[in-house]
Order: sequence, then structure tokens, then C-alpha cells
Amino acid sequence: MVRNVADRAFLPAKNLLEEIGDMLILTGRTIASALRPPYSYGGEFVNQFLFALKLCWFPLLISTIAFGYGAPGLQAANFLVLFGALDRLGGFFVLAVIREFAPFVTAIVLAGVAGTAITADLGARKIREELDALQVLGVDTVKSLVVPRFLALMLVTGLFNIYALIFGVVSGVLATVVNGGTIGAFQATFFTGASLTDLWGSMLKTTLFGAIIAIVCCYKGMSASGGAEGVGRAVNQAVVIAFLGIFAFNYVFTQTLLATNPELANLR
Amino acid sequence: MSIIPDSTAAAGAGGDPSGPAAGGPAAVEFIDVHKAFGANKILRGLNLGLPEGKISMILGPSGTGKSVCIKHMVGLLYPDRGDVLVHGQSVPNMADDELLRMRQKFGVLFQDGALFGSMNVFDNTCFPLRQHTEKSEEEIGEIVSHRLAEVGLSDAHDKMPNELSGGMRKRAGFARALVLDPDIVLFDEPDSGLDPVRTALLGELIQEIHAEMMGEAQRRGTPPPAFTLITHDIMTARRVAEHISVLWKGQIVESGPAEQLFDSDNQFVRQFLAGESAGPLGME
Repeated sequence: MVRNVADRAFLPAKNLLEEIGDMLILTGRTIASALRPPYSYGGEFVNQFLFALKLCWFPLLISTIAFGYGAPGLQAANFLVLFGALDRLGGFFVLAVIREFAPFVTAIVLAGVAGTAITADLGARKIREELDALQVLGVDTVKSLVVPRFLALMLVTGLFNIYALIFGVVSGVLATVVNGGTIGAFQATFFTGASLTDLWGSMLKTTLFGAIIAIVCCYKGMSASGGAEGVGRAVNQAVVIAFLGIFAFNYVFTQTLLATNPELANLR
Repeated sequence: MSIIPDSTAAAGAGGDPSGPAAGGPAAVEFIDVHKAFGANKILRGLNLGLPEGKISMILGPSGTGKSVCIKHMVGLLYPDRGDVLVHGQSVPNMADDELLRMRQKFGVLFQDGALFGSMNVFDNTCFPLRQHTEKSEEEIGEIVSHRLAEVGLSDAHDKMPNELSGGMRKRAGFARALVLDPDIVLFDEPDSGLDPVRTALLGELIQEIHAEMMGEAQRRGTPPPAFTLITHDIMTARRVAEHISVLWKGQIVESGPAEQLFDSDNQFVRQFLAGESAGPLGME
């Protein structure tokens, strides 16, 4: 009786901790495997990079423009117009787009589009015993499958952040023009507020978001079980865990960045 | 009273299952192996030996841990307790590199063939040779064509796995398992999803290829190949097996030469090998 209650109460927590532990181990093994020769994953890395690029460019284009124009653009512009300070929208966009929204939208699109495709692909291969067959044939599945996806997703997420920044800022310009402001005023406050730290912080954060997505999605795919239903469950869990991981990591990253660069707290 | 004897009694009933009495030196040995998934105990002190040079069979009801045995042999799973030896080397104690090398001793035919979906039959069969040998494409092509012809897939070189029937996928998986001339070939339920005639033909094919590989091993002076089939199909066991181990509830009930097992006095073995409903094995 007591054991049953204890199992019900603690088993999910134990399983969760085990999964987090397994993902951390997979991260360590992936980094070690990526650095250790032979570097046989080049071809698969290029394939995965192009695959993510092809899948994500259009959803990301729509998402960044719609999200940037709708949320920080229109909402902040409406607010700033009340005070006759629409020119400050540029400065606000440094905070909104470079530091937060572009990395978030990029990570969410990458996790939802490329990450789920990775989990579904690896999950289906796991169910068909292809991954077991690879291991039995003496292939290191971490090196051949996880490393190229890990590197490709990191690179593509980092590069897509530039893309999201561009279209995010374009949406801010659009919101300024729609509200009767001038592009020059937007540009002036934008470049007064922006710093190099904002840019590298944004790039580094998004690249690490890519690493989180890759590890979570590969792990969930490679540990899928229970037939087609199990693959569906793995995809669902991968997206949820990747989002949670991204949000949690963003909190730690932002706190660290603001603590180590106090000048970022001053909005100019 | 339990029908399953302890390991000592099992050895007494069918010879020492982990030693040479099983019919020669053992290619694979399980020594008091325990394995559980959560609260579900699958292997409970398994002692088992698979002899070299024979077609041996692990028989047992569904869900009794047969496929788990295969995964332990190739190091895809590790025992919670006990040891698994392949040619005398402990699998759980191998380093990653050593394990990858050790796996080259094995050819495994998975239940559905486990062909790589992105490659055609020819490339699937070439894969182990391209991965582990320095052979030229011409040599690889010759070996692969020979193996595909043996399994009757000469005309299917360019077919993708999703264009093949279940039986063809199994045969292609069989060809891939053989291209490296492995010392140990494992078949995970080779009869599942096949009609009785195809099952019989696959059984004959396994016997023919085993005999051919025995001859080659003798010529080369290499260890005779150990073929191990995991199944619950009694007809296949009667036709193909030279050595049988009966597994139930994570332990060996009896192990020995096929003829001996088919004349066994053990209630469970008799019930299972006769396919009767009356006996210790129920629906539970």
C-alpha cells in the first residue's frame, strides 16, 4: 500500500530525472564524438543542414513578420503614439526583437518543423529496428546520426536568427510607417540602442537553442517504443520538452547576460 | 510446485547449458543473467550456452524474454546481474570500441529484416562490407550478388524496402547478415508474418547456408558458425533445430540436442513442443 503510493508519487519524478540525465549524457557523448576522429559525418551534416533550411525558411519568414508586426510592432506603436513617442519604437525593437523574439520565434519554428521531423524519422527507424541493425553492424549511432543533426541544427538555428532579425526589424519599420512615423526616426533609436553585445548574445543564445532542440529530438526519437503510436507520443513529448528546455535556458542565459553586461539594462 | 528448475537442476535435466556438454564449445554463454524493465522481471537467473557449429534454437512462449536474449548477446542491452560471454569475452565489460569490433562477429536477422529505408536492396546488403572492409566496389558487388542469389533476390537489387513483401525483406535481411561471413548468426523470429510454405523454405535456406558456411569454416580453419533461431514455432524447430533451449519465465527449463528435447519428460517442455493446451502453460 505504502509502496504503491510512493511509486505513484515518485515514479514520474524519477523517470523525469532519469530522462534529463540521459539527455545530458547524450550531450556529452555527442560533443566528444564530434571532436574525436574520424569525422565521417560530413555528408549527413550537409544533408541535415539543407533539410532544415528547406523545411523552415518559409514558415520562419511568415512567423517573424507576422509576430514582429503584430506583437511588439502594433502593440508598442499604439502605446507609444499616446505619448507622441513613436520614434522610440526602434529602441524598443532592440530589446524586443534582437534579444528575445527573434531567437524565440526561430527556436519555436525549428523545434516545431525540423525537430519534429528528426524525432519522427529516428523514431520510425527505431521502431523498424533500423537503429538496432546499425549498431549491430558496428556503426556508432551517436556519431552517424546524432552528431550531424546536432551540428546542423546549431548552425542552421544560428543562421536563421539573422534571417529572423532582418524580417523582425522589417516588421517594426512596417508598424512605424503604418502608424504615421518615419523610417529615419525608427532607425535612429534602433541604432542608438543596439550594441554588439545584443547581437552576439542573440546569436549565441539561438545557436544553443538549436543544440537543445537537437539533443531532445534525437533522444526522444532514438528512445521511441510502442509502434506508430509510440512515435507520435515521442514527437509530442519532444516538442514539449524542447520548448521547456528553451524557456528554462533562456531564463538562465538572460540573467547571466544582464549580470555580466549591466549596460544592457539601460534602454537608450 | 514450480515447473522451472533452478540452474543446477536445469543443468542436470539437459546437460550443463552453459558448457561444452551442450554439444561443443559455446559461442555464446549466459551466466546467471538477470534483467528487469521497471518492475517487470524478464530474465531471472538465465544460464544458457549456444554451441558452435550447430543450428540452435531458443524456444519459448511469447513475452518470455527471447528477443531480450538476442539484444544481450550483441550488447544492445546489458544484464542487471550476471554475465554474457561471446567466445569467452564478457560483453558487458567491453569498452565501446571493443563492442563495435565484437559485433562484427555477428550477423543478425531482425524480425522484419530491419532494412535501411533510404537504400535499395543492393546497397543495404553492401552496407556492412563498405563499412568494415577495404574491398573494391567490384569485389563487394560479387559478394553481394552471390548472397542475394542464394536467398533468391537476384532480380530485386534495385528495389526499395517498401516495395518488398515481408518474406523478401526477411531474405534481404538474411543476405545482409551473411555478407561479412559472421561466426554467429542470430535470427529473431524468422517465421513471423510468413505463411507455412515460405517458413519451410526459409528453414531449408538456413540449413543450406549453414552447411555451406561449415564447409568454408573447415577449409579456412575458422570457428564453425553458430546459427541461433529465436522462435515459438514448433514446426520450424522440428525441421531445422539441432540444439534446443526452452525458455520460460526468464529461465531455461531444459536445454540439449533436439532429439533429446522432443523426448523430454518435463511437463512444460512436452506441452510446449506438442503444442497442447493442457499443461503448466496457461493464458496468464
